[in-house]
Amino acid sequence: MTKSEKIWYSIILVMLVVTILFAMMVGASFISPHQMMTAFQGGNPNQLDILVNIRFPRILAAMLCGGMLAVAGAASQAAFRNVLADPSILGVTSASDFFIMIGALLLPAFPGNKFILSILGGLFALFLLTRGPALRSPYRLIIIGVAMMLTFTGFEQLFANGFGTQTTGSFNGITWSETEALLFLGVSGMIAAVIVSPWANYLKLSTEQLQTKGVSATVMRMTLLLVVVYLSSGVSSVVGTVPFMGIVVPNVVRYLVGRDYQTIIPLSMLLGAWLLLVVDTLGRIVVLPSELSAAVIMTVIGGPFLILMLQRKNFNGLKSS
Amino acid sequence: MDLNQVSYHYPQQPTLLSNISAKIPTGGILSIIGPNGAGKSTLLKLMAGIIQPSAGEVLLDGRSIATIPRKQLATKIAVVSQQNDIFDDMKVIDVVKTGRLAHHNLLATIADDEVANYIHATHLDLLAQRPLSSLSGGQRQRVWLASALAQDPEYLLLDEPTTYLDIHYQAELMAILKQLNEQKHISIIMVLHDINQAFKISHQLWLVKQGRLIKTGRPAECYDRQLLASIFETNIQIVDVPNYGKYIVEIPDDEKKII
Repeated sequence: MTKSEKIWYSIILVMLVVTILFAMMVGASFISPHQMMTAFQGGNPNQLDILVNIRFPRILAAMLCGGMLAVAGAASQAAFRNVLADPSILGVTSASDFFIMIGALLLPAFPGNKFILSILGGLFALFLLTRGPALRSPYRLIIIGVAMMLTFTGFEQLFANGFGTQTTGSFNGITWSETEALLFLGVSGMIAAVIVSPWANYLKLSTEQLQTKGVSATVMRMTLLLVVVYLSSGVSSVVGTVPFMGIVVPNVVRYLVGRDYQTIIPLSMLLGAWLLLVVDTLGRIVVLPSELSAAVIMTVIGGPFLILMLQRKNFNGLKSS
Repeated sequence: MDLNQVSYHYPQQPTLLSNISAKIPTGGILSIIGPNGAGKSTLLKLMAGIIQPSAGEVLLDGRSIATIPRKQLATKIAVVSQQNDIFDDMKVIDVVKTGRLAHHNLLATIADDEVANYIHATHLDLLAQRPLSSLSGGQRQRVWLASALAQDPEYLLLDEPTTYLDIHYQAELMAILKQLNEQKHISIIMVLHDINQAFKISHQLWLVKQGRLIKTGRPAECYDRQLLASIFETNIQIVDVPNYGKYIVEIPDDEKKII
């Protein structure tokens, strides 16, 4: 680990701890650190209930989703050789949302399985993205992805009109059982991503170069994309789409520590957890007693970030070095 | 390595290489020369197993390379191709390490020590921790060479390795290749643009034109004015240069009038 990596790991961990404490304190009722201590010692069952059953699962869920989406973004950027690739921009998450909705319409009794439907939707989107010339042309990939995102979102709205609207991309009212599901999906998916992170580096070489070195680019690329779908579908099935996480976080991390995915992936996990927790916590307190969903705030942050990134003169993320 | 009546054409395209049969002597330096579009790079890709012949076969130790698993083939044949762009950026040492992938499982961590020799042999010791994007063209070419050497191959294939390099880097690269051939006994096969370079360094030459292998032989046998003139379709003079030896010069028709 280099010195700058150590410094950034430490800084982000400290920010994360501070934000967790802050998020535990604020909300509809303010709970000071002192009151928290009292509550945990059994002095205030009401506040303990708020902390343990409302705030803590929500904080944990936001952190898990942030980590999952940021890692999914970093892995899809490596797999597609394109720093703009991200499950939300490429239409993977909107395909998941659409499949979940269709599943709810057609198979209301289908046992539990938003997650399976969500995975199917994600795989369907990837199937469309990885065939044909999209893989060879970085701009075409993004345009096809955006077109797919709009198409699936449009279809979803079309069906949603007759079905009652559902808000997505919010952590409001999240339960412990949903958080436990996220914990399982998130931890397993992120461990898988860290294990295959060297492949994200190897995929910087061309398919032909890798072939002559005795390894298959296709196997590595498809494995990474399966991890991407697993992670992003996990989030979609529990909280819906939170856009731009996968673009903002890995690109900030790249700026901070460089181009090695064995650092980018774990650090994106931490920074993603922090960012989504900040976003969700802000959403809880800026318009009290109402709330802004994390998805809305991320759109407002992520859109301008993407525009700034693309307008920078030295932006060359789509070209080879 | 043997080529057995190898032909190649892209789907629905005219034939690029027709009926090439030849034996590649082990332990030597073989250069393939010929005009642009003669099929030299395609020939090299066939020998590397990157593409498969439309007819005939490429044999390695008597076995068709199409039947050799990719990973095993990578421990026998390494390639330095012309297109060496990477996406994003990587440290020099990490690029060299990718050459070791054929010797490990795909998730193994490759230690720095394991590639130290290859980095030293290509004079990259001081550049090992630098990002590839900060290197010059000649330095990058050496990185790809080191990465190919890290495969521990019996055959090293290079596609126009000196193109875009200035004279200094060209000479340096040729010296490294010669040393590898003499000391590590790696068989070198390369496509060279500069025919004088090819004549000087090679033990054997293949002269290719319009997808056909016109002549194979030692350089001394190929100093043939008429043969070279017909291959390159230009007037050729072979002159003696002091302290160098024979040197091939091309003199186009109209310039000859001026002289």
